[in-house]
Amino acid sequence: MDGLSPMLAQLVNGLIIGSIYGLMALGLTIIFGVLKIVNFSHGEFYMLGAYASYFISQTLGLHPVLGIVVAIGATFIIGMLIEKALLPPLFENKVERKEEYALLVTFGLSLFLINLALAVFGPFQKSAPALTKGNIDLGVISLSSGKVLAAVIAIVVLLITLFVIQKTWLGTALRAISQDRDASAIMGINAKRLGSIAFGLGACMAGAAGALLGPVFLVYPIMGTVPAIKSFVIIVLGSMGSIKGAIYGALLVGIVESLGVIFLSPAYRDVYSFLILILVLLFKPKGLFGGAQWNN
Amino acid sequence: MLEVANLEAGYGKIQILNGLSLSANENKLTLLIGPNGAGKSTLLKTIFGFVKPSKGSIRFQGEEISSIPSHQLTSLGIGFLLQRVSVFPDLTIEENLKLGAWSFKRDSARVAQRIEYMYDKFPILKEKRKESAGLMSGGQKRMLEIARTLMPGPKLILVDEPSAGLSPKIAKEVYRVLHELKDEGITLVMVDQNIRESIAYSDYVYVLERGRVSSESAADEIGKNLKQVVESWLKF
Repeated sequence: MDGLSPMLAQLVNGLIIGSIYGLMALGLTIIFGVLKIVNFSHGEFYMLGAYASYFISQTLGLHPVLGIVVAIGATFIIGMLIEKALLPPLFENKVERKEEYALLVTFGLSLFLINLALAVFGPFQKSAPALTKGNIDLGVISLSSGKVLAAVIAIVVLLITLFVIQKTWLGTALRAISQDRDASAIMGINAKRLGSIAFGLGACMAGAAGALLGPVFLVYPIMGTVPAIKSFVIIVLGSMGSIKGAIYGALLVGIVESLGVIFLSPAYRDVYSFLILILVLLFKPKGLFGGAQWNN
Repeated sequence: MLEVANLEAGYGKIQILNGLSLSANENKLTLLIGPNGAGKSTLLKTIFGFVKPSKGSIRFQGEEISSIPSHQLTSLGIGFLLQRVSVFPDLTIEENLKLGAWSFKRDSARVAQRIEYMYDKFPILKEKRKESAGLMSGGQKRMLEIARTLMPGPKLILVDEPSAGLSPKIAKEVYRVLHELKDEGITLVMVDQNIRESIAYSDYVYVLERGRVSSESAADEIGKNLKQVVESWLKF
């Protein structure tokens, strides 16, 4: 049984990390679905979320869970404001090449936010305090309670988001915009306003992920790059625009990464997700949930 | 009800509407016909604000609406049936209908009552209400689009090619349903290529050519010299 428990521990670890990746990937999916753009600054909202919660828990010395709540609120508002400032030309027929515009704007935003963070917070890696201290002993395996709490919060945020998307007026309207923007305008839906909300929602999910993983990894200006790339891998893996795909894809990536660490080598941790991506695309070019739409 | 005056609009540098003027009377079906590229669909899109006019005015019940954003026209009482399929394919039929009530979503009693009314009017929608709208047949989708447009109780509905892509039998059914809307006091402005059929249901007909009205008359009159009108399109 000795050989089994490290594997089990890594499996649980993978699920924990996967649920947090899921948050981030779902945020990217919401933005992609409603605004039809790939948000290349997604990782920077992750970074901003991490700094926001670091500021609350370390600098102000308040409870880390409060830090997460503040991080979610702050990245939601920043996301909405940024969308209102930068993206309206996309929907007013003012730009000819919408995809290129979105790519350049969000990529530029990413560089801007990274350099802003460098100037404001400095280049040094900071370690945020754990959400809670101690371990949870399950007999076979022992887990850090901070990580478990992070996963629980991630799952709660995911479930709330899914509820909003599936069951509320706002969510139904967001799905409608993602499927047919003109028809939603005919219904009287203000797609411009809801687009800002969708961007804020997506951004704050990345912010939540950053705030949750800040205590696990370290907080620094370019911390969002690797998680952002992983979110791109996840949403392509799970089929662009599929909600189910974002969540299952994230869990798959989390588990494969964690198991790869013990079966192959910890040095290539960040490579495993690309391996699955290549394998999945070889056999299912449309991704795991190919053709599935935004509300599935 | 609806007055369009000296309207000019187009896409980028290409101007489609060249000083078009027409009016639609209350509780009548006004039909717009004309050759391809005459600007029929563009006119409807411009009235609904999808295309911004560069000149001219659009008045609905006396109010200038040309600068009002599309999504606010619904609550003024204007509906729009697009030519292409416009149901939300991955929403259920019930969710599609519900979104028709977006402009009065806070009044949940009225929302529920309107949905029930539509289910009575279109029983097939009730039967399939939990299914994805994308799985319905073409004719059923069109009925859902009509029901969804009727949800807020519009006064004017713009209709673009209602029978496009439908079999003759189903097209007839669609025309019948649209015609009945007049009994509910609804004004219709309709664009149609299916001229012979649609004239039978109309009250007044405008012929559009190159972004202008080239002739107009009561429907029963144009019916008589329809052949001449259509032949004249072939000349340029």
